[in-house]
Amino acid sequence: MLQVTGLSKDFGGKPALRNVSFQVEKGEIHGLLGHNGAGKSTTLGVILGMVEPDQGEAFIGGISVQKKHSAALRQAGAIFESPSFYEYLSGWENLRILVSYSGRFNAKETRAVVEKVGLTKAIDAKVRTYSHGMRQRLALAQALVPEPEILLLDEPTDGLDPEGIKWFRDFILGLRKERGTTVLFNSHLLAEVEQMCDRVTILKEGKLVHAGKIGDLQGDTHIYQAEFEPWAEAAAFLELNGVQILGRGRVALPPEADPAILIAALVGLGVRVSAFAPIRRSLEDLYLEITTQASPTR
Amino acid sequence: MNFLSQLRGELRKLFGRPRTYLGYGVFLLMEAIILIVFKLKGAQKMMRDFVERNGLSFGDAYSSLTVTYWMMGLSMFFLGSIYFALVAGDIVAKESEDGNLRLVLARPISRLRILILKYAAISIYTITFVLFVGVSGYLMAIAAVGTKGGLWAWSPEMKVFSFFPDSSEGLKRIVMAAGGIGLSMVTLSSIAFMFSCFKIKPASAAVATLSVLFVDLVLQRFPFFAPYSEYFVTWRMSCWVYLLENTISWPKIASSYVFLGGLNITLFLIGYVAFRLRDVKT
Repeated sequence: MLQVTGLSKDFGGKPALRNVSFQVEKGEIHGLLGHNGAGKSTTLGVILGMVEPDQGEAFIGGISVQKKHSAALRQAGAIFESPSFYEYLSGWENLRILVSYSGRFNAKETRAVVEKVGLTKAIDAKVRTYSHGMRQRLALAQALVPEPEILLLDEPTDGLDPEGIKWFRDFILGLRKERGTTVLFNSHLLAEVEQMCDRVTILKEGKLVHAGKIGDLQGDTHIYQAEFEPWAEAAAFLELNGVQILGRGRVALPPEADPAILIAALVGLGVRVSAFAPIRRSLEDLYLEITTQASPTR
Repeated sequence: MNFLSQLRGELRKLFGRPRTYLGYGVFLLMEAIILIVFKLKGAQKMMRDFVERNGLSFGDAYSSLTVTYWMMGLSMFFLGSIYFALVAGDIVAKESEDGNLRLVLARPISRLRILILKYAAISIYTITFVLFVGVSGYLMAIAAVGTKGGLWAWSPEMKVFSFFPDSSEGLKRIVMAAGGIGLSMVTLSSIAFMFSCFKIKPASAAVATLSVLFVDLVLQRFPFFAPYSEYFVTWRMSCWVYLLENTISWPKIASSYVFLGGLNITLFLIGYVAFRLRDVKT
């Protein structure tokens, strides 16, 4: 659904993106992560045609944004962090103006979306009277008319209260379930990304340092939580079999080791095994591990 | 149809701003001040002396049409230039500064079309605003001076001195002059529009526009440049006064508006190139 290939961009001689390529499959919720200045917003800018890349291209539904801007963006809706509306106009007037840029304004469709995002009562009020949460709902409404194939979300939950964040998450997940909408989700809130996204792309200093499924990454661990009795005897046996003891209750298995065989051997030795389970790393652990490593080489 | 709907949106944005109406209020105040000056005995004596020295009757020359002519000319010269520079300087730069542009550019619309819409909106705004100043000035002048009398127009810089004793002919000419001022002011708005397309603050676009006009006006007054006056923008912008000559010289007027039209297109294209090449960060 979305593909970026070899994106490079300098701002005043300072590289913002260096040969970044990744793709987002149809119906997928994809997280775009990275520190401030990692190149996330620039990537989003290129995808939306707001930033002209020095090299590379972005494709939405197979159409090049750089070559056929309008045709490509016809399939997309976007939300930005702190969306700026025309404060002196009502929510409805804002929608009318923004939607008209995409083609004919359809009042019925727009009203249905307004209802869906829960803004019906406030839609005729001036935007200057809106709370942050209401602005985000209005931003969501404008992005959903006309119905997009892909939603590009730039820090959409920043500044929202926990209820607002949950509402937003449920809404996006519901959208994917109902319509199969593809989502590119740029956020600092790793817990949100972990709950919503199927795959993540991590940028560091303008380079892609990681791309993959969250589940695969978290499952790709050899660290186990273990509770043995007696611990010392079990630890000695495991060390003889190449297992690294990380501390009481934590062991790291060599990649070739089969946990089932080790447990059977321990039980055979008379060790009581009350717990033995892989420790799944959180996305935060993974993110920090990747982004605090040495500068990217890819 | 779609273009009209988008243009309607642009106009709604422009006319929805509270400061737009502040501008209308300020112009009405300016017109009222000019009207008060015309009612002062000292000012009337000066005008009487001048008019009668030139063989006209003060009773015929001192009329609502004449007052409207001076109101339009003076208010546009002193206030119009600043006001249009501010409004047109805002048209792209303010949206960029406020972040509205991100939401617009995220839609499937080309930058060229966005600028065409904005330029059309600012041109319509400029012309209708001048017409508003003309109509409101005329109505205020009628209330203060009455409907009797003709139209006396004088512009020493453009070498125009004319008198229309017939009030209907005078009214026709003043309507034509209002349209002419509107077209001339579109050039001012075009300069501000061009600056607005650059990555600058809205106020900077307005200041840059006024600087261009000021330098143009000052240079035009240098004796050295006297033979080249027709190459100055402000001189061409004053060509609306020719619509008030007793015998209208259409070729003279057309050449000025063709010059201004060409300049407007050039300014638009420079603005477009600047806007097209700009990166707008999300």
